Amino acid sequence: MAIFLQLILNSIIAGSVYALVALGFNFIYGATKFFNLAHGVVAAIGGYAFFYFARILGLNIYLAVVLAIIFAGLIGYGLDKLIYLPLRKRKASNMALLVASLGAMTALQAIIAILFTSQFRTLSQNISTQKLFEVFGGVITQTQLIILLVTFLILSALALLLYKTHFGRAIRAISDDEETTRIIGINTNKIIGHVFFIGSAIAGLAGILVGFDTGIEPTMGLNLLLKGVIASIIGGVGNICGGVLGGFFLGFVENFGIWKISGEWKDAIAFALLIAFLIFRPRGIMNK
Amino acid sequence: MEYLIHLAILFAIYATLGLSLNLVVGYTGLLSVTHAAFYGVGAYATAILLTKTGVGFFTSVIFGIVIAITISFFIGVVLSKFKGDYYALGTFGFNTIVFAVFLNWQNLTRGPLGIPGISRPEFFGIDFTNNFTFLILSLVFLSLLYFVSRFIAGSSFGRVLKAIREDETAIAVFGYHTLYFKLAIFVISAAMAAVTGSLFASYITFIDPSGFRLMESVFILAIIVLGGLANLRGSILGAFFIILLPEILRFVGFPADIAAQMRQVVYGMILILLMLYRPQGLVGEYKL
Repeated sequence: MAIFLQLILNSIIAGSVYALVALGFNFIYGATKFFNLAHGVVAAIGGYAFFYFARILGLNIYLAVVLAIIFAGLIGYGLDKLIYLPLRKRKASNMALLVASLGAMTALQAIIAILFTSQFRTLSQNISTQKLFEVFGGVITQTQLIILLVTFLILSALALLLYKTHFGRAIRAISDDEETTRIIGINTNKIIGHVFFIGSAIAGLAGILVGFDTGIEPTMGLNLLLKGVIASIIGGVGNICGGVLGGFFLGFVENFGIWKISGEWKDAIAFALLIAFLIFRPRGIMNK
Repeated sequence: MEYLIHLAILFAIYATLGLSLNLVVGYTGLLSVTHAAFYGVGAYATAILLTKTGVGFFTSVIFGIVIAITISFFIGVVLSKFKGDYYALGTFGFNTIVFAVFLNWQNLTRGPLGIPGISRPEFFGIDFTNNFTFLILSLVFLSLLYFVSRFIAGSSFGRVLKAIREDETAIAVFGYHTLYFKLAIFVISAAMAAVTGSLFASYITFIDPSGFRLMESVFILAIIVLGGLANLRGSILGAFFIILLPEILRFVGFPADIAAQMRQVVYGMILILLMLYRPQGLVGEYKL
């Protein structure tokens, strides 16, 4: 029974990380309708930017978090302005955008490895002193609790942004039909640029939190991206609530999947789930 | 001189991989990012058979082909229902699953330790332990598969593939079962990749899972995107440049570990720049 409770807890913890990555990914997908494969590496950049500001420059932790999030957001913004926007202007297909983002992912990941080496690092200084909480007989660390709270905080903030502000209405209009939105006088490219900034900033935050929970390495982005994409698709791509739901669903399937078989099969289980969804419900749980 | 021969063999191997991937990506317009999976299947088939049983090289090649055909058939049935970026994501997932199998099925693949001591082939009284004779063998394979690919591309079957790429609905209206065609070319390409994998395993004599991860598939994709999609000579040209490029970096004089990362940066940049300025590659006839 204790194992069962801990598994539920682990599922929720893993799920909240996936949900957080999926939130930013879905937010960007909603406006641009292409799979931004560089999303994961932006999360890694967030983690490393924090590492740089806090550990190498020795700034205050909270200041470093804010700076790192802004930095990740700027990277996303830059990617849009330098790569995706020119491609969209040229009416490039989704596949061209996907390949370009694949290129950005490969290059940025290698650049991180050059600057910071491929070594695995932890962000929290002494992991043993982390506060532990007992919930129904299971254990959860302080960082993991923060990740869970942040996920729901960001979800609410994004929902408010999308459904209660003028800016959010414009994003939803672009999501429905970009050309018409442009015709009625909304600067769609500017708004998509902002969407990239916000989505990438969320990714950066996810990278920092994962860095506190486990650690950072240059290749962490790919893993986060893949899980985030799977969560988005099984939840309903482009739908921010769907992404969160998908994230938790993925967390549960993964953690209960390895109850009986060894833990190295997690990724395979996740992708088996993706392929099952692509066959039976390609639009995900939420989308009709 | 020995090093030049080594480069030439690598070129032949990657050119062969490019040819077979081009049939799927270039001619049929399906963005497959899982070529390294089948390449790995062939490599592992040869490695396991040659080290654990007494069978010859050619038996192991045929065995690899059979396994690759079986696997690609089942995953192809699923994948062929999709197109565009969803197809790409599905193949992404499949590559990750196969990589997990190589890594975790330790009884068979020895996991991360890899399989050392794979013997070089020997037949017709010619000993291929010499690198020069092995180069000739790999060039023979390259030209063989080149002619097979050219035959496929030029046949009526190949014309249907191109029609699927241009407009799948239209060709379906004419009564062609596009699903069968997509499946068939996927299986053929997988079988060709497996042959190349066998060749690679017996050349390097040591394989481990890291050679068949997702990044390797991206690398092969970069070759054909650079050379040009839907052009077989383009794939060979692309392999030539991509193998040669890191050698130029060598003269710049980076330390070894940074040079490896620099290579990734260059590959990533190539993909981005091609998508931006020359999406059809050097001599391509189709752009993504």
